Amino acid sequence: KIDVSTHLVKMSTSITLENTGKSPIKSFLYALEPSLQNYLSIITANVKDKDEKLGVSQTTVASKKDLSFWRIELPSNLEPGKTMTVDVDSSYAHALTPYPAEITQSQKQQVLYNGNVYFFSPYSTKSQTTTVTTTNTAIESYSKSPKPVSQTDRTVTYGPYEQREAFSEAELRVHYENNSPFLTVTNLERIIEVSHWGNIAVEEHISMRHTGALLKGPFSRYDYQRAQDGLSSIKAFKTVLPAAARDVYYRDEIGNISTSNLKEMDDFVELELRPRFPLFGGWKTQYYIGYNVPSYQYLFNKGDNYALKMRFVDHIFDDMVVDQVTVKIILPEGAKNMRLETPYPVTQGENQLHFTYLDTTGRPVIVIHKSNLVEQHIQDFQLHYTFQKLLLLQEPLIVVGAFYLLFLAVIVYVRLDFSITKDEAKESKMRVASLVEEVQSAHDRRSALYQSYDDAINKYKSTKDANTFAATRKKVDADYKSLTQQISDLQTKLKNEGSDLAEKVNELQVSDRQYKDLVALAITLAEKLVSGKINKQQYLDNEKINKTKREDLDSKMEALRSSLA
Amino acid sequence: MKSSSAGWGPQWLLKMSPDKQDTLLKMLVLSIAAILSFSTRLFSVLRFESVIHEFDPYFNYRTTRYLTEEGFYSFHNWFDDRAWYPLGRIIGGTIYPGLMVTSAVFYHALWFFNITIDIRNVCVFLAPMFSSFTTLVTYWFTKELKDAGAGLVAAAMIAIVPGYISRSVAGSYDNEGIAIFCMLLTYALWIKSVKTGSLFWSCLCALAYFYMVSSWGGYVFLINLIPLHVLALMLTGRFSHRIYVAYSAVYCIGTILSMQISFVGFQPVQSSEHMAALGVFGLCQMHAFIDYVRSKLSVEQFNILFRSIVLMGAVVSLSVAAIGTATGKISPWTGRFYSLLDPSYAKNNIPIIASVSEHQPTTWSSFYFDLQMLTIMFPAGLYFCFNRLTDANIFIIMYGVTSIYFAGVMVRLMLVLAPVMCILSGIGVSSTLNTYMKNLDVSRKDKKTSKKNVDHTYPFKNEVATGVVFLVTAFLITYTFHCTWVTSEAYSSPSIVLSARAGDGGRIIFDDFREAYYWLRHNTPEDAKVMSWWDYGYQITAMANRTILVDNNTWNNTHISRVGQAMASTEDKAYEIMRELDVNYVLVIFGGLTGYSSDDINKFLWMVRIGGSTDRGAHIKEADYYTPQGEFRIDKEGSPTLLNCLMYKMCYYRFGEVYTEGGKPTGYDRVRNAEIGNKNFDLDVLEEAYTTEHWLVRIYKVKDLDNRGA
Repeated sequence: KIDVSTHLVKMSTSITLENTGKSPIKSFLYALEPSLQNYLSIITANVKDKDEKLGVSQTTVASKKDLSFWRIELPSNLEPGKTMTVDVDSSYAHALTPYPAEITQSQKQQVLYNGNVYFFSPYSTKSQTTTVTTTNTAIESYSKSPKPVSQTDRTVTYGPYEQREAFSEAELRVHYENNSPFLTVTNLERIIEVSHWGNIAVEEHISMRHTGALLKGPFSRYDYQRAQDGLSSIKAFKTVLPAAARDVYYRDEIGNISTSNLKEMDDFVELELRPRFPLFGGWKTQYYIGYNVPSYQYLFNKGDNYALKMRFVDHIFDDMVVDQVTVKIILPEGAKNMRLETPYPVTQGENQLHFTYLDTTGRPVIVIHKSNLVEQHIQDFQLHYTFQKLLLLQEPLIVVGAFYLLFLAVIVYVRLDFSITKDEAKESKMRVASLVEEVQSAHDRRSALYQSYDDAINKYKSTKDANTFAATRKKVDADYKSLTQQISDLQTKLKNEGSDLAEKVNELQVSDRQYKDLVALAITLAEKLVSGKINKQQYLDNEKINKTKREDLDSKMEALRSSLA
Repeated sequence: MKSSSAGWGPQWLLKMSPDKQDTLLKMLVLSIAAILSFSTRLFSVLRFESVIHEFDPYFNYRTTRYLTEEGFYSFHNWFDDRAWYPLGRIIGGTIYPGLMVTSAVFYHALWFFNITIDIRNVCVFLAPMFSSFTTLVTYWFTKELKDAGAGLVAAAMIAIVPGYISRSVAGSYDNEGIAIFCMLLTYALWIKSVKTGSLFWSCLCALAYFYMVSSWGGYVFLINLIPLHVLALMLTGRFSHRIYVAYSAVYCIGTILSMQISFVGFQPVQSSEHMAALGVFGLCQMHAFIDYVRSKLSVEQFNILFRSIVLMGAVVSLSVAAIGTATGKISPWTGRFYSLLDPSYAKNNIPIIASVSEHQPTTWSSFYFDLQMLTIMFPAGLYFCFNRLTDANIFIIMYGVTSIYFAGVMVRLMLVLAPVMCILSGIGVSSTLNTYMKNLDVSRKDKKTSKKNVDHTYPFKNEVATGVVFLVTAFLITYTFHCTWVTSEAYSSPSIVLSARAGDGGRIIFDDFREAYYWLRHNTPEDAKVMSWWDYGYQITAMANRTILVDNNTWNNTHISRVGQAMASTEDKAYEIMRELDVNYVLVIFGGLTGYSSDDINKFLWMVRIGGSTDRGAHIKEADYYTPQGEFRIDKEGSPTLLNCLMYKMCYYRFGEVYTEGGKPTGYDRVRNAEIGNKNFDLDVLEEAYTTEHWLVRIYKVKDLDNRGA
């Protein structure tokens, strides 16, 4: 059964094997038709009605060097005289030839399929039929021999034929209309960047080409828009991305391509891409798409052992053909012991190092090449590696360290003096500023002490405990003295600097002494009250006068303090 | 003024010493201004994408990419065979490399730290980044001129002034983007060296000048302005040793350095544009010498000597200049410079200069559009400068006056005017507020003090002050709104991607240019030659990577004229020219379907004028393309010469069958609002190769010779 309705040749052969020999057989050979053997993309086999894939491997046969044979392993030995049905599916890319090779914009595309009527087999065949399915009913011509041949709708049936020798051939030639998109990805570079912070970034660089009949003559936008002709041209196609894909972008080397639509389905994301221009025969374009997927769906770990399980290639368009693919897997910095498992043979290139943000030693990159892929190649690969989890902290620490160093440098720089000459005035100013600051803080503390005096007096009044009061007073007095001493020291220093602020500090000290006297008075009053030398009314009157004076002084000092700066 | 208004901060702010508060506030205001100036330029990146804008930036981008990929040496020796076919262009010797080197340095520095940023993004964000730097430099410059308060106002103003933004939005990757920074830096350092008279600052100034020379042709303005300043100082009797040291150092070092740029070469000592600087340098020496002699001689002796020397000097210098000009040692004044002095010069003599829209004289409305309140505050700033004349103030006055003249001559030089407008307005606003803020009784504390020493110079002092402060604040607020509006509406479209409002309010994007360029890139032979009008040259080489005939570096008038002739001729004549020039594809921009007005038909008259300006195109006369009434029409009334020329045919090929607007006949041109006069014609020597989705770009393939007549 040959399906040539798209730009691929899909051949599915259902073979009923009969062991006519003496001993049980384990495997059989499948030969590719000489006209198609160079176009083979993939070949798979399974026992009829069973899903399990059979082992398929390429072999050579000494007597037929120029043919390519595939050995298909049977699931169980085939005993002599028994039969078994095996389905072999194979796909061939670029096996259809556009004929005519050049068409104008309005013409329809016609292609030619050249093959073999008979089942090309190293064994003799008892009975066989061959059917060819075309795109539509517009079949220009097809080989009329060997009989019997019949056509119904879009199917041409050859046979049944009985008893054919091994390697028998008869030309099969179908010329028919095929306007399905002859789109070929000539080169695909798929970059998978794994981050252990929970994200996997995928980017695919795609060069594609319309491999159908070449466009002959002018391209008229008017005709294209009005009549919607240009049947063979490709306007848009759909790419299916994983359901979790986010932040999808679609660009090329000169910027964003604005013609795309994103549809989110339940189990996949459908991206409708329109190249910048419609692709006619022979026209090329290039673009790249990228997206992020969360890593938990693809990255599995056990301790420090990790396994990445992702698709080797992903869907680009239906019935896709990819001539060349390079897959690059970028692992986090510090990943070691990489081991790759692929569902089909690939060539592994040399590992590289990739440097990007905050890298020091570089990220290991696994490079894999493969050519001639079709949709059936969308299968998972597995990459095992080890990675120490602590290394995850390396990059944040680098940032922290860099900022730390930066701030440290600024701190050091600000404090160092690089000038050769001394700027006396400026230095004196700075010294004055720092002295003033000290004076202010000392004064602030002193003001706090006044408050403690008040507290002590109040407490004394209520408890009438002379001893405690004396002790507290003594302590506060000591503090007060030391602070006052400190301020006068600072005042001397300010005077030495020749600053007129010394005057103000002096004023401050004078007011402070007055204040202290008032406090002393308040204490005496309180003592008198406690010892009963004056009555309450007298005390309150005196205290009131005293308090007003103190408040006045306080605000004066406060004004002085702030005028210092 | 800003620091005084911010005295009511949180408690911890009060506890800091005023010095620290001052520093903190300045840093805060400056960093906000710098961040603002960066982010206000990002409209187009957010609306569209990180993409290079306009035309020239594409060339700069392409050369920058070449520089980063191939290294400086091969960049310096680069002969570009993709442009000016068949002549080619020596890129290394015909550009100012400052911009490319700057981005390449950034790029390599970032890559050294493994910051793998794309070179395109470096280019896109370079101009906004440099405008942040400009903000800082403006602050410093104004601080040197006046005080920190004025500096802050000027910095805040320049951060958003549309006249500068127009040339420095993200993606507008052009020389001007960094040149304004260099220019202000040079000025600031010049003022610094004039004020200090120290060699250190003078050398730094010379280095900044070198950077400026390496990045923009506008350095000529600098090298004339600084001598002018020195001359003015001499005339006003302010000449001193400081100025002598500063100018001698800057001129000598600066000139030697500027000659290292291969595009500049020996111009600083040969061309007439630089002669003023040389002359002032000589005057400087003489002045200094005379000062020295005067200090040694008596008054009478000196007077005799002085007179004779002045006479001799004048005679000698005049004759040297005359001989130099006559023998060609001093190059004649170039056309662009003449058009600076005489706005009508270019229009009358060189159509190619006049054809560029940014070389047109500036209209009054565009002054207001680009500068808004600055136009009003500028004289105020000048007044304050005159009020307190210093060496530095004289400089800013000269800068302001000369640049306002130049900006009036050419729209493009608005860019040079914008910074000085900001500086002077900054000084104006700051001084005004300084004067009136004092008169405000805002807090009770001040009331007490003001009551003590009231000076009743005029009544309602407080009320007037409040009024003025409110007025200025209102001005400043409207200024910010205006600037943001202008930036967002006028200066933030990449011009490579067009967008329009659809009927349902959605946005339609016309990405036709890139569609066409990408088609060329992938679906034409690698060595195909594309003919288009010169506007699109840079874009085609950068995006389509194909050889072009003429581009935006309009150095060869005759070659451009040849292309103009091809476009303006009939098909047969054009075919001869195209064969001669080996053209494979012709690209035209056509806006008739979408209503894009700056298309090739609207530029066509310039093609005719430029095409007819040389000997070989003498048969092309502008008058032939007008109707007898002197109108330029594309409908049936139009002149038959126009209706049959190549440009017309290429634009309207098969357009006669299209319905563009409801209720109008087919072939209705939406730009010129007319039904085209020549429908249903065939092209004999060309075939349509590609037309973009909205017909904006049409590409034709030139048929081979043997197909001719077939």
